[in-house]
Amino acid sequence: MAAMKFTVLGLLFAAALTAQPTATTADWPSYGGTHAAWRYSALDQINASNVAKLAPVWAFQTGDYENGLQSTPIVVDGVLYLVSARSQVFALDAASGRRIWEYHYALPRTPGTNTQNRGLAVGAGKVFLGTYDDYMIALDAKTGAEVWKVAVDDQRQCGCAITGAPLFVKDKVVVGSTGGDGAFRGYLTAFNAETGRLAWRFYTVAGPGEKGHETWKGDSWKYGGGATWMTGSFDPALNLIYWGTGNAASDLYSGDRYASDALNGVKPGGVNLYTASVIALDADSGKLRWHYQEIPKDVWDFDAAYECVLVDRMVDGKMRKLLVHVNKSGYTFVLDRVTGEYIGAFPIVENHNWTSGVTKDGKFLDIVEPVEDKPTLICPGPAGGKSWNQMAFSPRTGFIYAPVLEQCAQLQARRQEPSEGRVYLGGTWAETSPPGGVVHSHLDAYDPVTGKRAWTYPYKYVLFASLLATAGDLVFTGDPEGFFFALDARSGKKLWSFQTGAGHRGSSVTYSVNGRQYIATPTGWGSIAGRALLNTWPEAEAFRSGSTLMVFALPEAK
Amino acid sequence: MKLLTSLLLIASAAFAQDLVARGADVYVKSCATGYCHGLKGSGGGAPRLASRGFDEAFITRTVRSGITGTAMPAFGTTLARLDLAAVIAYVGSLNGIAPNPALAAMLRGPPARTLPPEAARGRALFYEASRGFARCATCHLVDGMGIAVTDAITKVPANAAELRGVSATHVATATAGGEAFPALVLSKGVTQVKVYDLTIAPPVLRVFPAASVTIQEGSAWKHASATQSYTDAELDAIVAFLKAVVQ
Repeated sequence: MAAMKFTVLGLLFAAALTAQPTATTADWPSYGGTHAAWRYSALDQINASNVAKLAPVWAFQTGDYENGLQSTPIVVDGVLYLVSARSQVFALDAASGRRIWEYHYALPRTPGTNTQNRGLAVGAGKVFLGTYDDYMIALDAKTGAEVWKVAVDDQRQCGCAITGAPLFVKDKVVVGSTGGDGAFRGYLTAFNAETGRLAWRFYTVAGPGEKGHETWKGDSWKYGGGATWMTGSFDPALNLIYWGTGNAASDLYSGDRYASDALNGVKPGGVNLYTASVIALDADSGKLRWHYQEIPKDVWDFDAAYECVLVDRMVDGKMRKLLVHVNKSGYTFVLDRVTGEYIGAFPIVENHNWTSGVTKDGKFLDIVEPVEDKPTLICPGPAGGKSWNQMAFSPRTGFIYAPVLEQCAQLQARRQEPSEGRVYLGGTWAETSPPGGVVHSHLDAYDPVTGKRAWTYPYKYVLFASLLATAGDLVFTGDPEGFFFALDARSGKKLWSFQTGAGHRGSSVTYSVNGRQYIATPTGWGSIAGRALLNTWPEAEAFRSGSTLMVFALPEAK
Repeated sequence: MKLLTSLLLIASAAFAQDLVARGADVYVKSCATGYCHGLKGSGGGAPRLASRGFDEAFITRTVRSGITGTAMPAFGTTLARLDLAAVIAYVGSLNGIAPNPALAAMLRGPPARTLPPEAARGRALFYEASRGFARCATCHLVDGMGIAVTDAITKVPANAAELRGVSATHVATATAGGEAFPALVLSKGVTQVKVYDLTIAPPVLRVFPAASVTIQEGSAWKHASATQSYTDAELDAIVAFLKAVVQ
């Protein structure tokens, strides 16, 4: 009995050691909150009963106003680290907003670029920054001084850029890049956090001699896309890094990269591997453990680059380790994160016509592809049923909260010769309204396994800011008109709203210092989507840009 | 005479209208996605083009040659000449410029630089992305591309053997945290030392407090280790490329 007790305790202890931190507490340590990417905090000082009293306590202006502010702040031990669109880094006192240090990266001024930076990673006493011109930089977290700097690629050649936040995992920092809408071969690169030395690189387009290379026609693999432009997740118990990969290139025309269904075998192997897939890599070696291709042959620019939310849920009476993932097709995929097994998929958009549905084993039926001789109406369009802005998961409600866009596009494929690092869309498109309706969006709460929708918050324009869920049963986000607001996590009822003076395109976070809970949100409209919106709503011209972090808290007791 | 001029003007005005209409069509197919310049030049991922005060020479140059270091392609090699003239006329019309009837003629211009075949092959090899970091451009900036870890190449080796054997006497040995590694020293100040760590490609620019690192002359590092992914024939082609572009 004693021995058994000991064993049970031992097992519990071992489980605690490898248990995945899923909710954040005082800190907001990484891009997705924790490496499970829930964007959920256990803090509940601010809650549904008192959120109406929430008021601004400080603001910080980055001074970098060209392209808005898409960042996720990181908070560690009372210090808030923020990066702006042109890779300027600021360390601020998280309680007062006092500037501790700033690092001005000398980003070359290149005409025609749309610079962005979506966040930093912090770990091993360092702040890790990926730059728009493809450098990885480690700064001393205390002083902001450069510790190491390494060129990941040459933007003048690859046409790629680092805009996503790096992921700090154990003793390494992992980073992806954009480039998949150009003639570019995607990859994920890991560097030793202390020295900056290359640890491993994984190419998302299988090269000669690699498994999956046979799914590429001729030399098309050289410019096959598969950009890793967002940030992945990590499960320490499985030692697996999960990352979503982008579309195959050229985006809309597949004739040069895809031979035939018979030759490539649409299922189970996949087409144009490992594009438009979720990949699971060994965190130490970067070796592929499993992959699941969500959009075989992607000819819609649907990508699969977004966040991988790691949850444990009951499926058919059994507790399963899951990975929940939405891509631009408007479908949510549910995978077993141990094996990559397909568990289910369901649409979260109302307007979807590219497929009539999905089979029990994940095969899409009656697929509508763009053709060369005329435009084809496809829903959702390449803007995606969901944009890159991150969803949130609350273990208290059991819901995923996701921003959804109802928009279609007229797609037309066109064969194109690739030119390295240059645009390689293989066609064109024009955004358009859904049949019989208007372009609009909604924020939904739904069950991550069944897809059953609990409530929906409709909105006239787009919701392009990430979501934040808290144990106070609140869901926070902002809209392009400048309102930052809180919804009741159980009902979707709006409980509080504040006009911040600029549109929301970034990711809010929450943290506490000396027992006081703060909510911080980046403000400042901008970006590709922001500008493209003018084609839909002329009044979008009035959405304010800027680059300011606004921080809120409850008034202190007098 | 006067009548003839008027007739010519009318004819060219019709030509101009046709050209702009054709350009609008080319524009929609090649330039208008939300990732690029948007419908009617409204802007998207790439800048707005309408009402920017662009002149025809700028538009022509940019459309033909693209912008290095950005996603803007060189349409001079991908669009048919008439379509090229048309899209230039259309973007001009978004900036209040009436199309120049001589636009098609203007498009002839000087030909792009062409390298001899061996040098062109060497150029491709020098930057070849499929080699990952085991390519020349990981450490050398040549002809406007590549990472400038080393000083600019001024003396081109005669052949593959010389290229492999390029002297590395300036590579030192740095010792920090009990570990010695090959280092290209950038600066040795009173407070800090900056070196490129050459342990593994790509080189890492590292900054150490001066007291925490020692630098000794000499290293076992050889240029041959950085050229391993290339065959002798490939290196000969690279030599031909360097000869063609290095002053």
